[in-house]
Amino acid sequence: MKVELYNHVVRSGLTRRRLMQGAASIGSLAAMGGLGLSRSALAQDDVRAAILAIPGVGAGSPTDADWQKVGEMTLAATRANVAEGEFAGVELTFMGLNNQNLHNFLFRGFLKPWEAYTGAKINWIDLAQADYNPRLQQAIATGTVDFDIIEMGAPFEGDTASKGLLDEMPDWVKAQIDMDDYVGYLKAPVGTWAGKTYRISIDGDCHTFAYRKDYLSDAAISAATGMTEAPTTWQQVQAFSNAVKGQKDPLTGLDAYGFLDPLKGWGGFGFYFLEDRASAYAKHPDDPAWLFDPDTMKPRVNNPAWVQAIQDVMDTMPVLPPDQINADPGTTAFQQFLAGTGAMICWWGDVGSMARTSDSSVVGDVVGFSINPGSDKVYNTKTAAWETPATPNFAPNMAYLGWGVYVTNRVSGDEKKRKAAWSAAAHLGGKDLSLWMAAYPSGFQPYRNSHFNFDEWQAAGYDRAFVEDYLGSNADSYNHPNAAIEPRIPGIFQYYSVAEDELAKGFGGTYKSAQETADAIAAAWEKITDQIGRDSQIALYKASLGM
Amino acid sequence: MSIEGDLLHVVTPDDLSPKRVAFGRAIIWGSAAALALVALAQTMQVAGQLDLGFTTWRPTLYAYILWAVALCWGQVLTRGEQGKRVLFVLPAALFVVSLVVFPLLFGLLIAFSDWNLSSPTGRKFNGLGNVRQMWGDPFYWNALANMVWYSLAIIVEYAIAFGLALLLNAQIRGRKFFRVAFLMPLMLSPVAVSWMIGKSMMEIRFGPLARLARALGWDNPSFFGSAEVARATIMMMDSWTYIPFMMIMILAGLQAIPRELQEAARVDGASAWRGFWEVTFPLMLPVSITAILIRLIFKLKLADIIINVTSGGPGGATDSVTSFIFREYRDRSNVGYGTLLAMVYLVLIVIAMTILMKLAERWTRPR
Repeated sequence: MKVELYNHVVRSGLTRRRLMQGAASIGSLAAMGGLGLSRSALAQDDVRAAILAIPGVGAGSPTDADWQKVGEMTLAATRANVAEGEFAGVELTFMGLNNQNLHNFLFRGFLKPWEAYTGAKINWIDLAQADYNPRLQQAIATGTVDFDIIEMGAPFEGDTASKGLLDEMPDWVKAQIDMDDYVGYLKAPVGTWAGKTYRISIDGDCHTFAYRKDYLSDAAISAATGMTEAPTTWQQVQAFSNAVKGQKDPLTGLDAYGFLDPLKGWGGFGFYFLEDRASAYAKHPDDPAWLFDPDTMKPRVNNPAWVQAIQDVMDTMPVLPPDQINADPGTTAFQQFLAGTGAMICWWGDVGSMARTSDSSVVGDVVGFSINPGSDKVYNTKTAAWETPATPNFAPNMAYLGWGVYVTNRVSGDEKKRKAAWSAAAHLGGKDLSLWMAAYPSGFQPYRNSHFNFDEWQAAGYDRAFVEDYLGSNADSYNHPNAAIEPRIPGIFQYYSVAEDELAKGFGGTYKSAQETADAIAAAWEKITDQIGRDSQIALYKASLGM
Repeated sequence: MSIEGDLLHVVTPDDLSPKRVAFGRAIIWGSAAALALVALAQTMQVAGQLDLGFTTWRPTLYAYILWAVALCWGQVLTRGEQGKRVLFVLPAALFVVSLVVFPLLFGLLIAFSDWNLSSPTGRKFNGLGNVRQMWGDPFYWNALANMVWYSLAIIVEYAIAFGLALLLNAQIRGRKFFRVAFLMPLMLSPVAVSWMIGKSMMEIRFGPLARLARALGWDNPSFFGSAEVARATIMMMDSWTYIPFMMIMILAGLQAIPRELQEAARVDGASAWRGFWEVTFPLMLPVSITAILIRLIFKLKLADIIINVTSGGPGGATDSVTSFIFREYRDRSNVGYGTLLAMVYLVLIVIAMTILMKLAERWTRPR
């Protein structure tokens, strides 16, 4: 769970009485044996309930002692597959992040009991987020990979798995971590290359749609827009944004605005926000590809679907807040939407959690969530024509696919070391341990179907309505059958970064039209593809799509 | 003791035996040969023609260090005291060569390569391919054009700095306080300036500067909304940080001018303006030129404020060459092309600075 969300829960709703209730319900859950569950299932429930009581929701931030305790209590799966002392003398190097003193700091605690039991020793490479990409890319480019286990985002699978730098996951690991429990979009092909599985997920990520409910109940605004329900398609969003111009914000009394598009780049991450609009037009349910043609790597970014998305943004520019040309996604989320400017936004889970938890947020009580808007029409690249489905086409944008743990090929030649590396990784990605990470400050979001069992959260002491609100829209996006999955090809952020530059020129008026802007992006993408190698990109793109 | 030769500069007489000289030459050439052999062997291994089991380039580095030590020692062995004198400079020269010249040569090698870190084929020599790409790259030319504007702003900055320095040099109340106060912006990191001013004070809804602008009648203040305004705002933030630097240099120069000169001019009937224009300003030219040149060097590195505040936008209007190279290199891992752009920029800077220094020399020469 994100730190700020946890702090909020602790700060606001949780009293000592409530904590006792939570502890009591955990105790009663553990004591009740007559629910018809098998002995092992019951034992697992016991563990899940017990670890959720460490240190106890509302009993202060977890410490290293707590992490070690949780690591010890969730060691059963390791014990089943590894004999005590089996990895004596094995040394492994783990490269990961040190964001907010989480990530690697937690892993150290979780793995300490594992080290004591197996006899292996782990050396740590801690990196700040900003140093991560250069460190990884340089290690790959100069052939100096010096880590056996790596915490890595799925978009980098193109840079690593495609080059044979990763070790294939053994079958016993798949069973130990119960991969079938993953939410839909994290199942294969994500985490796999050419049919081989490499990733143990420890996190989930996607964009969801956040909107202000007070914009829908305000009499003057509703009279102007004619809407009392949240828009569900981009066509409705456009109509709303245009109609709300001239009204006053119900919360702040300042000018009212509709959907907030970030018009400034964000180191490549800004492109995800054009994707939010484009995926509904461009991601056809019968076609897994939506950014490139998988047979030729010809960009689709200048096809009518994408041009429509760019045109939508251009059309909405006159009704956006002044100076929006200089607003990046961070600005639209934290300085605008959460601070009371604008009615709608697409963002990661942070906006959802911070809306209620951040001191600078004024929209906590009036914010609602859903999956990203759909579209009344969807473009079919096979027929090169628009289609109008019976119901709108939804394609939630799985922007950045969350963190995972991978094992590198440095251990492939040494079976003992290999088993040790996978055992350590599997311990971190274990089903029960992941529940604790989802519920307490860890920097990771829920990513398993079992994480959305709200009874467990309630029993642990969380406010059910809050948890359902927070998790609901994420769960719907994760499991959507037409989710727009990010292409995990080498250099994907290069494509995004150059697209941001060209979009800035389009939005700034250098290019005459949306089509011209899209053509410029496509031309720049073609150059990158040629530079990285078209044939290999085609093969890797197909592999990443599971084709 | 010898009584011939350069008795003024030579401290000890050199009695170099032919054996010693020969040994000196032997270790120099021997270590050079070893260096050449090791480097060649490693190059051949990289080229795939030989496999000696080297995993790193350290053997070549060690051979280079051995050669450097032998070269220094050999100087003393073969040239006696003259060699010892050389030792005062030679190690430093070798150090500079290792840390500047070699990386520059490697940099050139990369600059003429097609090297995208994501490419599975790695670095490929592509001749003038990057130069051709640069020639047709509107983003680079746009950034260079912006740099011309940014550099021209130095003239205005100089005028302001000169004015402030004159004020602080005059007998005003609280002079020491103002000197420290005016220096404050220079002590701030440009990143802090970006966030404090560009992102906070200029925030269009709640930022104090935006409120002030509204109070002054600008209905919808936007400091980065249009190309011209954005560029001007970046210039102002950068100037605000660095004008104190020029000011303090000019102030030091002003304080070094003897008071008698102004007094003599006044006795001769010069007005305040003529006293400044005919006496102070010409005397300040060498300091001014130095201040402007150093400021220009700072200016050519301008990137941090732009990266933080506008990312080069809107539509590239505020991009500097460095901020563009940063994007090309960091966000797009385009190492080869990014290096070439930096090299071309380096050459342009060297040419421009050389011309400027020649001109400065001419301007400051007494008539």
